[in-house]
Amino acid sequence: MLEAINLTKKYGDFTALQSLNLTINEGEIFCLLGANGAGKSTTINLFLNFIGATSGSAKINDLDVTKHARETKQLLSYIPENLMLYKNLTGLENLQFFCGLGGKHQSKGELEELLEQSGLQTDFINRRVSNYSKGMRQKVGIALARARGSKVLLLDEPTSGLDPKASNEFSELLLSMKEKGVATLMATHDLFRAKDTGTHIGIMKEGRLLEKFESQEVSFRDLEKLYLKHMHN
Amino acid sequence: MNSVFLIAKKEILIALRQKVIRALAIVIMVLLSVALYAGYVAYDQQKEVIENARKEKREEWLTQGDKHPHIAAHYGTFIFKPKTILSLFDFGLDTFTGTSVYLEAHYQHEFMFRPAQDHSSMIRFGELSAALVLQILVPLLLIFLAFPAFTKERESGTLKLLISQGVSCTTIVWGKIVAYLSILISILAPFFVIAFVLSTMLANSQTIPDIAIRVVLLVIIYVVYLLIFVAFSVWISMRSSTSKNSLLTLLTCWILFMIIIPKTTANFGESMYPLPSMKIYREAIQKDIKNGLDGKASTSFRQNQLKKEYLQRYTVDSIHKLPLNFEGVRMQAGEDYGNKVYDVHWARLKKIFDNQNRIASLSSFITPYLAIRNLSMGLTATDLYTSIHFQKKTEKYRRELVRKMNNDMAQNSRYGEFYEYKAGKNLWNSIKEFEYTTMSAYEIVSLYKTELISLCCWAVLIFSLLGYSSRKIRPVYE
Repeated sequence: MLEAINLTKKYGDFTALQSLNLTINEGEIFCLLGANGAGKSTTINLFLNFIGATSGSAKINDLDVTKHARETKQLLSYIPENLMLYKNLTGLENLQFFCGLGGKHQSKGELEELLEQSGLQTDFINRRVSNYSKGMRQKVGIALARARGSKVLLLDEPTSGLDPKASNEFSELLLSMKEKGVATLMATHDLFRAKDTGTHIGIMKEGRLLEKFESQEVSFRDLEKLYLKHMHN
Repeated sequence: MNSVFLIAKKEILIALRQKVIRALAIVIMVLLSVALYAGYVAYDQQKEVIENARKEKREEWLTQGDKHPHIAAHYGTFIFKPKTILSLFDFGLDTFTGTSVYLEAHYQHEFMFRPAQDHSSMIRFGELSAALVLQILVPLLLIFLAFPAFTKERESGTLKLLISQGVSCTTIVWGKIVAYLSILISILAPFFVIAFVLSTMLANSQTIPDIAIRVVLLVIIYVVYLLIFVAFSVWISMRSSTSKNSLLTLLTCWILFMIIIPKTTANFGESMYPLPSMKIYREAIQKDIKNGLDGKASTSFRQNQLKKEYLQRYTVDSIHKLPLNFEGVRMQAGEDYGNKVYDVHWARLKKIFDNQNRIASLSSFITPYLAIRNLSMGLTATDLYTSIHFQKKTEKYRRELVRKMNNDMAQNSRYGEFYEYKAGKNLWNSIKEFEYTTMSAYEIVSLYKTELISLCCWAVLIFSLLGYSSRKIRPVYE
């Protein structure tokens, strides 16, 4: 579903991402761990075609994201660290707008139900987003991914700054989407969330994917040790 | 629904929920209404005054009683420039050119644009007219509306989300342009409808025959002009790193386009092609009449030549024996020579005006404001070309009037007979009342070809830049 083949991004002499090879299949949640500047966000931006690769390719459903920008974007949903919606519109209006852009036209009732299923409190659905917390906005993002029927989720530190309850709710939503066969690539600093939610984990440093493994292969303690070992080397 | 219209709908909804935009829209609507109403009141009052004065002066001419035709030619009459209904929308140069002219023998009274005054009427920063609001203030509203078009999307992170939906930047650009244009049209539509209804209802078809074409052309050029500003604002926003930079850049451009460039080019035109002072202009005409255009044929020389020519033509040895009153012939010949001198000097002055106008026209390639200002004045018949056209017609009328008076004197009175001969009502009635019809819309448009081309060039340039930049834009900086 998601594939990076020798994906490289350079800015002059600086290598932001070096020969990344990665495959994420349906129903997998791949968590990329790493310090700031490790290349996690660069990977996501390359899959989104927000930036162009220096070499290699990023594919979604076997389609190159550069050559098939529009088609690949129809398949994915993106939730950044701080999902920003239009503050002067309500959550429902934002959802209607973004769904419409993706060509998914659903009734107001259906969208309200999706927002509720995504954990947004009913009385906030028709309130302007300027009144929303970060967690609420992330829930609208999940509702949008569901409404669009996305096959791929690209998440850039989505739980950063969320309180444990909101973070846990977000993880549950991810797991429910995993059950529906959604392939997820999540960049995160949160080791606990990566172990708890991810099916696969990769550790990145200075643009390189140093290690990747299935999350069930390691305990949380071992993951922490492994991570710290790589960070200190 | 098409993505362009979805984005446009979202933009409109957001704009409607912003107090600043609502307030600005109300201010523009109030200003337009006030300007239109003030224009209508001024038009109505002036029209009434001019109409009454015209009737009164015509009556005075017809009932001046029996008198010598040359005295009647000096008694003269007044001619009034009829107010056109479109002048309530754009005052143009009307305020500077005046509305009446006194016609008499031997003398071309300066009237409409005071050709040899020390300053050019092009240097101005007009009164509050509807045209001024549309040309200067509405672009300002557009700037406040569109400056964050892209920067805010980028700053808030919504641009990433938008583009991640598979929407192209070109779609976003057009969505925004459609939105701002829709907002603008909804603000301006009532005004345009009122202006159109007023124009067609109150139109004086004799003076301005193709008013409907002019109104349609005005609407088209104003829509293109404002579209240029919408697209320009969106483009600047696209190229700016922050909303603050975008606003500052746009405001700087507004000051350049609306104030600095028009003033600078007008001053440049005047310093490149300076006008003579009124005193020098008049003195030069009088000198050439007195000494002849070549400096060799003085008034007395020309009169002696004329006398010889007539004595030879009628084979008589005294002007007393001529079958006509030589005094009338002499006066008409003097009039004709004065006209010739005036035409030469006027042609020189006209050339200066044309050169100044050419600079103003070419300057429209530097600022679209000059293009719309000149075109708007032209189509509302309040421009310099219409003033010159009116002046030519009145001068032709004056010359015909004086010729008729002199010919009557020559044909019907005897030499030396002045106070004894009196012409009457039949002669006064033979002078038809002056009627003025403006140039056709086609003629006006052909005079403003440069402005039309520059407006089209601006539109092509801005949309090309938008197209180019929208292909290059990325939601994150590389």
